[in-house]
Amino acid sequence: MNTEQQSQQAQTGSEFEREPVPKNALLGFKSFIGMYAGEHCAGTELMIGPLFVAAGVSAFDLVAGLLIGNALAVLSWMFLCAPIATRRRLTLYYQLEKICGRKLVTLYNLANGVMFCFLAGAMVTVSATAVGVWFNFKMPGLNDVYPNSIGWVVAVAVVGGLIAIVAAYGYQTVAKFANVAAPWMVLVFLAFGFVGLRHFIDATGTEVGSLGDLWGLAKAEIWEGGPPQEGQVKFTFWHVMFFAWFCNMAMHVGMSDLSVFRFARKSWYAIASSAGMYVGHFMAWISASILYAYQLHLNPADTDVLPGPLAYRAAGLVGLLCVIIAGWTTANPTIYRAGLAFQALTPNSSRFKVTLITGAIATIAGMFPAIAMKLLGFVALYGLVLMPMGAVIFVDFWLIRKFGLQSSYAELSGKTFNWAAGLAWFVTLATAWVLVRFAGVQIFFVSLPGWFVAALLYIVLSKIYQKKFRPVAAE
Amino acid sequence: MRTILQIISLLALIALTLPSVIFLAGKMELNMVKWLMLVATIVWFVTATGWMWKDSGAEDQEAS
Repeated sequence: MNTEQQSQQAQTGSEFEREPVPKNALLGFKSFIGMYAGEHCAGTELMIGPLFVAAGVSAFDLVAGLLIGNALAVLSWMFLCAPIATRRRLTLYYQLEKICGRKLVTLYNLANGVMFCFLAGAMVTVSATAVGVWFNFKMPGLNDVYPNSIGWVVAVAVVGGLIAIVAAYGYQTVAKFANVAAPWMVLVFLAFGFVGLRHFIDATGTEVGSLGDLWGLAKAEIWEGGPPQEGQVKFTFWHVMFFAWFCNMAMHVGMSDLSVFRFARKSWYAIASSAGMYVGHFMAWISASILYAYQLHLNPADTDVLPGPLAYRAAGLVGLLCVIIAGWTTANPTIYRAGLAFQALTPNSSRFKVTLITGAIATIAGMFPAIAMKLLGFVALYGLVLMPMGAVIFVDFWLIRKFGLQSSYAELSGKTFNWAAGLAWFVTLATAWVLVRFAGVQIFFVSLPGWFVAALLYIVLSKIYQKKFRPVAAE
Repeated sequence: MRTILQIISLLALIALTLPSVIFLAGKMELNMVKWLMLVATIVWFVTATGWMWKDSGAEDQEAS
């Protein structure tokens, strides 16, 4: 079995799901590099890069923000997630079940499944923009919330329907195809950047003889740092840094990748995530943003963020294939995982039917361009929603015994809903909502204080809860 | 056979990237870049599938 499949199986919890990974199933460092490089060079990168430009980011803020933010993301995998993963070697779900109880994990699954559905919807949106180039129907604009043409609805229905059917029938086949496509896709993204740069050099008549000249072009023409497009939030260095750090928050701080790194021989293998960060979340975002910046340079009124036409202009048919494949290969496991999460709610239902229904929900979500066009905010929300449970796992593993409390409390007490963990989750999200809604704090910045709120709440609430319901083992 | 396929697929990846580098240097037309990338893409998927698919596990097991 290939690493990516194994990792994907790991993420879906289909292997060693209720036991620690045995020594003979552990994987080497190289396996994780391939997996992360492939997984983080996805269809959504073609939206995120342009949205940075639409947010009026400057060259320095973008490059420095991405360099530091991605480094922080790698460190989060290395020092928060992987050390627990390689010590316990359990899936996220099993570990959560021990701490939180089966009912609370089910609720977590539901939240996870819903977020996965919307994320898959954005990926379907990306793929459908490539269809628009062929059939030339009206596609959504930057600020469109609802579908704006019959052609768009039909295109998303066809693309999303196909993705859902394939995910239900042949998940593993697409996973294998994704392995084959990954190196090709990375290099097509790189080519987007080179072609876009040349376009800018030609369009501006800039003489580029050194890196300094190139930096000058970047600052003056590509990422000018002006006001954002209408309806977009202005992005500064801090926005870029926190976005890059937290866009995969569910995976590192949120501990979802416990399921991946339980297969790692050493916890430092998590440095392999840098392959994904600096290929997908640095090179690919920058390349995609250059294409959109060039579109704006040609016609400042053309603010539509449509990966299909952008890629077609840069690389022709290969660009369109890249958009379709990037969206498809990443929507496939996302729909599949969402299906698994929902299936946990109704264990007796057929996985095939659940995946199909999940795909249908993702397809309907994909028809609404608001999700893709507001992807920066949605990705931040996705990380925020799942993050508090990461804080709960961190505290439960490293700190809780130091306070004289029990780790894995639900398992010891037989509780199916650990209210200390549940309230830590709900109150953290409520606090974040209040901060965003009433204190004017942008969603990109609430996750960091939110983690500390969740950690603190879990300790305090456990003090009260565990005193009230003492487990047999603690007595 | 496997080694030959690996060499050809590696060459296809080089052929996929090189035209855009030459275009960046201002020494190739964009149309030519697009055609070369398309040919390289076809060669990549044909040859890489030949050895990477097998690596991905011969049995096409249903995810459970």
